[in-house]
Amino acid sequence: MAGKGHGTTGAFDELDDAPQTQILKRVPGFRPRASRAHMLKQIEGPGVNTLRLVLNKDVLTMGRAAANDIQLENDNVSRTHARLTRIDDEYTIEDLDSRNGILLNGLQVHAAVLRDGDEVHIGDFVFTYQEGA
Amino acid sequence: MPVFVRFWGVRGSIPTPGPRTRRYGGNTSCLEVRSQTTLCVFDAGTGLRELGLSLMRAPPPGGLKIHLFLSHPHWDHIQGFPFFAPAYHESTTLCVYGPEGDAKNYQLLSGQMNNAYFPVRFSDLKAKVVQKSFQDEAVEVGDFVIRRFNQKHPGGSVGFRVDHAHGSVVYATDSELDQQLKDPDQPVDDPESLRRLPADLVKAIRGADLLVADAQYTDDEYLQRVGWGHPRASTVVDLACDARVKKLALTHHDPMHSDRDVDVKVSLGVERAKHHQSEVEVFGAREGVVIKLDNPDIRGTG
Repeated sequence: MAGKGHGTTGAFDELDDAPQTQILKRVPGFRPRASRAHMLKQIEGPGVNTLRLVLNKDVLTMGRAAANDIQLENDNVSRTHARLTRIDDEYTIEDLDSRNGILLNGLQVHAAVLRDGDEVHIGDFVFTYQEGA
Repeated sequence: MPVFVRFWGVRGSIPTPGPRTRRYGGNTSCLEVRSQTTLCVFDAGTGLRELGLSLMRAPPPGGLKIHLFLSHPHWDHIQGFPFFAPAYHESTTLCVYGPEGDAKNYQLLSGQMNNAYFPVRFSDLKAKVVQKSFQDEAVEVGDFVIRRFNQKHPGGSVGFRVDHAHGSVVYATDSELDQQLKDPDQPVDDPESLRRLPADLVKAIRGADLLVADAQYTDDEYLQRVGWGHPRASTVVDLACDARVKKLALTHHDPMHSDRDVDVKVSLGVERAKHHQSEVEVFGAREGVVIKLDNPDIRGTG
C-alpha cells in the first residue's frame, strides 16, 4: 500500500484503504517540442522556383546586390530592397526605400510582422512565408 | 519625411487571442501615426502594451513625447493603458487630449487604475501626464494638424482626421454609420446602391490617403445588433467611395470573427468598391502592418 510506507503524511493517510491506481504504461514527462525554423519559399519568379530560404539570423537583407544575405537577381528588385528582422522570434519585413516596394498578400506595405501563409512579392519574386515553431 | 501608420490593435470589444485570430490579431484598438518628429497614438486598447514595449526597446535620449487621443473611454479603447511601459518612466511626457473643458477621458483613463482594479495607482506613474484640449475642433501637434468630429455611438465617440504635408489619415472607429444614413431603409430596399451619409461626415473624411474605420459587422449580423454602436462593413465602404479616399482599412473586427471571416468581409468590401467603380483600395487592418504615406502634393482638405 502507498501512504505511510512510502513517506506520505497527513491527508494521504486517509487514502490507505482506497483502491490503488495501477501504472501499466509510463507516460513520459514534459518534453519541449523540436523547433522548426521560419522559412521563405519561392512560388513564382525567376529561376526554377525552388528557393527555400531558412531564416536563421536576427537581421537579413534581401536585394539584387551580391552583398545581401539573400540575393535576388532581377531588374525589378532594388540593390538593397528589404530587411528581415527577428524580434521575439517573429520576423518583420521592412522596405528599404526600394523602387517597387513590398506587397504583402497584394497590399503595398512599408513593413509587416510575417504570419504563416503570407505571400510576399519582391520584384518579380513571390514567396510564401512558413512560420516556424 | 513621410508619415508611418502602424496597426497595434484591430479587434473590437474584447481581446481575442488564439489561433483563430492569429493573422489579423486579437488586441483591441490602438493605432500609431508617426512623422520624423512627432508620435501620435489613437486609442489605448490592449495593442498599446505592444507599442509600449516597442518604444522602450530604443527610447530617444531626451525621453519619449507621446500624444494620446482617445475616441471614447469604453474598455476596449483604454484597457492597455495600465500596461503601457513608457508611462512608468520619468523621462516620458504623455499628452492626453480631450474636448475643451471636458476631463472625462483623462478621469476615466486614471480611474481604471483605482486600487480596486489594478495594483499600481495612476499617481504612482513616473511619466509626466498632461491634460490637453482641443480648441474648437482642431489642434496642432508637431507637424500634424488634428481635427475631431463627433460620431454615433452609445455614450458618444470621436473620429480624428490627421493632416500632414505628406499625407492624411482618418481614424474613425466605434461609429454606427447606419444610424446616420439619409435613407435608413436603403440597405434593405436597395442593398447594392451607394448609401448616402451626412455631408459634414463625408467632408471630414474627403480625400484622405488612408481611412481606418470601424467595420465590425456583416450585413446579416448588423440586423441583430442595431444600436450597438457599430456599422455594416458595406456602409463603411460606401462612405470611403463617396469621400474618395485612397485606402480603406477595415478595423474593429468582431471578436467572433476568425481570420477567415475577416478575409470574407474584406473580399466583399473589395467587390463592393468595384461595383461602385471606386478606386479605393480596401484591406483588413492587421496588427504589425505599417503603411507609409509619402505624398508631398497632398495637403489635408478636412
